[in-house]
Amino acid sequence: MERRLQQVFFGLSLLALVLILATEWQASTPSWKNYQRKYLQLEAQEEPNAASKAAVLATPLAINQVILPGLQRVDRCTTCHLGVEDPTMKNVPEPFRYHAGLEPHVPSKFGCTICHGGQGLATDMKDAHGNVAFWQNPLLPADYVRASCGRCHKEGEVPGVPELTEGRHLFETEGCHGCHKLNGVGGSIGPDLTAEGANHRSPEWLVRHFLTPNVVSPGSAMPNFHFTQEQARALSYFMLSLTSQDMGSYYSSMQLIPSPEFGRQLFVEKDCMACHAIGGVGGKTAPDLAGVTKRHSTEWLDEQLVNPELVYPGSSMPEYDLESNARKALVAFLASATPEDAQLILARKGHPLTPQDAAIEAGKQDFARFGCAGCHGTELQGGVPNPNAQGEQVPSLLHVSDDYTKDEVIAIIRDGMVPPLDNPKGLTPPLYMPSWKSVLSDEDINRIADFLWSKQEKKESW
Amino acid sequence: MNLIREIWRSIVRRDPLSTDKGKSELVFLNVWLHIHPAKVKKENIKFRYSFYLGFITFFLFLILLTTGIALMFYYRPYPSVAYQDMKDLQFAVFMGPFLRNMHRWAAQAMVLCVFLHMCRVFYTGSYKKPRQFNWVIGVMLLLLTLGLSFTGYLLPWDQLAYWAITVGTNIGSYAPLIGGRLRELLLGGHTVGEAALIRFYVLHVAILPSLVILLTIVHFWRVRKDGGLSRPLWKLKPRKTEALVTIGAPAEVAPLHVAAASQDKTYGLMEVVTGKPIFETVTPEEEEDTVFSYPYAFVREAVALMATVTTIMTVSLFFNAPLEEMANPAVTPNPAKAPWYFLGLQELVSHSALLGGVVIPALMVIALIAIPYFDKNPSRRPRDRKWALWVFTFFVVANVALIIIGTFFRGPGWAWVPPWVHVVARPE
Repeated sequence: MERRLQQVFFGLSLLALVLILATEWQASTPSWKNYQRKYLQLEAQEEPNAASKAAVLATPLAINQVILPGLQRVDRCTTCHLGVEDPTMKNVPEPFRYHAGLEPHVPSKFGCTICHGGQGLATDMKDAHGNVAFWQNPLLPADYVRASCGRCHKEGEVPGVPELTEGRHLFETEGCHGCHKLNGVGGSIGPDLTAEGANHRSPEWLVRHFLTPNVVSPGSAMPNFHFTQEQARALSYFMLSLTSQDMGSYYSSMQLIPSPEFGRQLFVEKDCMACHAIGGVGGKTAPDLAGVTKRHSTEWLDEQLVNPELVYPGSSMPEYDLESNARKALVAFLASATPEDAQLILARKGHPLTPQDAAIEAGKQDFARFGCAGCHGTELQGGVPNPNAQGEQVPSLLHVSDDYTKDEVIAIIRDGMVPPLDNPKGLTPPLYMPSWKSVLSDEDINRIADFLWSKQEKKESW
Repeated sequence: MNLIREIWRSIVRRDPLSTDKGKSELVFLNVWLHIHPAKVKKENIKFRYSFYLGFITFFLFLILLTTGIALMFYYRPYPSVAYQDMKDLQFAVFMGPFLRNMHRWAAQAMVLCVFLHMCRVFYTGSYKKPRQFNWVIGVMLLLLTLGLSFTGYLLPWDQLAYWAITVGTNIGSYAPLIGGRLRELLLGGHTVGEAALIRFYVLHVAILPSLVILLTIVHFWRVRKDGGLSRPLWKLKPRKTEALVTIGAPAEVAPLHVAAASQDKTYGLMEVVTGKPIFETVTPEEEEDTVFSYPYAFVREAVALMATVTTIMTVSLFFNAPLEEMANPAVTPNPAKAPWYFLGLQELVSHSALLGGVVIPALMVIALIAIPYFDKNPSRRPRDRKWALWVFTFFVVANVALIIIGTFFRGPGWAWVPPWVHVVARPE
């Protein structure tokens, strides 16, 4: 018995030793080391002689990581994706392939996961690509990676990502704000979308949701807007870009890309042509701006836009209080501006509106901006299905003056209204008119009413 | 060569182990081993009596101490970095996953073994006089073990940790008057946050382990002073009332004192500091009943140690400790469950917060502590204490059943969902 016990003891000790060795072996042969060895072999092939080959192969293996406090992440992707910044790795298979068109978004400043998704801290493929339990942010499909541009570039156009611009535009024009809050503005019938991109929905889910909201989320109050496939894709791009994550100052300074298009927009908005001309077209009280970027350095122009009096004492140019990217954009526009541009801008300027028309125009803007169009339609036609409301749909606003006085309409906008039920015993209709008094000022509401009255179709006379 | 021998002799001062004196000296000249007696009862070292559960619990605690200290090198108790450190352990630290797995699984095993050890002690009636207070210390150690496991649960700062602690501390807050205050004191606020993490960390790595070490020393010391493990039930002899011990002097002189012989005492005091030597009358059959601790007890303990270590290592090699997504106070998992050993409580709380969260657990702890003082039945034989066995068995079965229900049969909204039914979460 005692002998047997001693044997058991030694047997178990041996087992413990084996287990320790097994764990150590497991720990010392991670997959990233294999990838690094393969990469070194690839690199060694290029070397001219045996000595330099050996030197390359002797490079110590190590985890590469980019620590990005501004983006609140640590990315180790380049531990395996070693050729990302090496153009000679254009034609090698993944994970070593060169990432074309990376500039200026180099991994050392941006990492990888902020755009691609995935688990930056992981050092094996399955975990890193993020299709594992408890990691809700897996790699985005290649087709949707560009949606991430909108995480930093929150405003204006993003070159090369028309989907994002289209998605943002649709969100404004289709009246999504009426039900959904975005950055604190909007209704509360639907969920707040401020951080929708952090909800870890797959792009496929989003697209399907936009095409058929009721099929994907049964019982959802969201109407079917009959979006096309492209529109649904664009909106999904926009959704994926929405994040309330606090980006570091470097990244958030890039909300606006200083593109010439944006510069042109500013040029029109600030009415520069009231004083300046381009190639003789425009105002004559200030210097002609044709070729101004050739006459002066970028720094000089920037300084001039910040503080005109400092550069030209006694200058009559006002201080416009433009942010740095806006100044860059203006300069970018001026570099390419032609007299033809100036002609176009002048032609579009049009005539000033009468106070009455201006109020109606403002009402129209409000109607679009606060999302009324989401339910009532961009042409006030209504028709969005609303089960168990009278007529089973959101009413058209083209005939409100038949049933209500203007003051009554103003009261409905201010205080909200539950639609009259079709079947008094049935369910409450999912859509209702919310109270807008906390969002809209009385002035806004009056303007919207003015806009509605300007659109009323006359009762058929008989 | 002589120098080496001299150094060796200066370290190991006992006689050779081939002699009985050497075997005794191995025990009582060694600070680590002298908690053992030089000789132990043959029957007491049998596996089928104690299952070595106390030893295994102690060995698990040693594993937890060593792996825990190693983990402390890699852990910062601050919300976002704490989770990042978990990921580093998983992906970048050499043998990090193994280290964390060992700690996690040993902790779970320790909760289980403490409980089983308590059951063994109860069923063998080993808490009876003079061991009543040692039972009380044992109950305290059980509570400390639960406390250690609970405080450790929060440290990974993932969803599992965050919500288990939120639910767990909510259960505690149902206590009238002091519940809310206690929760606030423990969390350092009203919700689980930075303050809670640092508090749980300090409790987990400093205060609770120190208390466990202190109480374990007392626990062992008292077992030793009460004559080692209690006699196995199959070796219980009919009670002899007339057996007496003479204390004072050999027969021809009048004895100083005559006392009833202890049934269980097997060791004799070798010397006393003051006064005259004590002679204990030991029957020949009792003398034959004992063996030297070396090697008989030690080899069994060593086997128990290695079995514990290899089991935990094997489990750790193949099963990873859970780590969910980072704690997010805005996203409540449904259902949010407390750690498994509190799921019985959570199940009770789901029926009545006050009764399940406060009254029943408080009564349970009080009842456990009171057992040795309440159960005055001197007999340790099962047939003499049927009532006690039935009550305790009911307590054990009820606890286990509630934990199983809470763990496997509760789904979203704490609704009854058997494990074989799959619930699909509907996105909002």
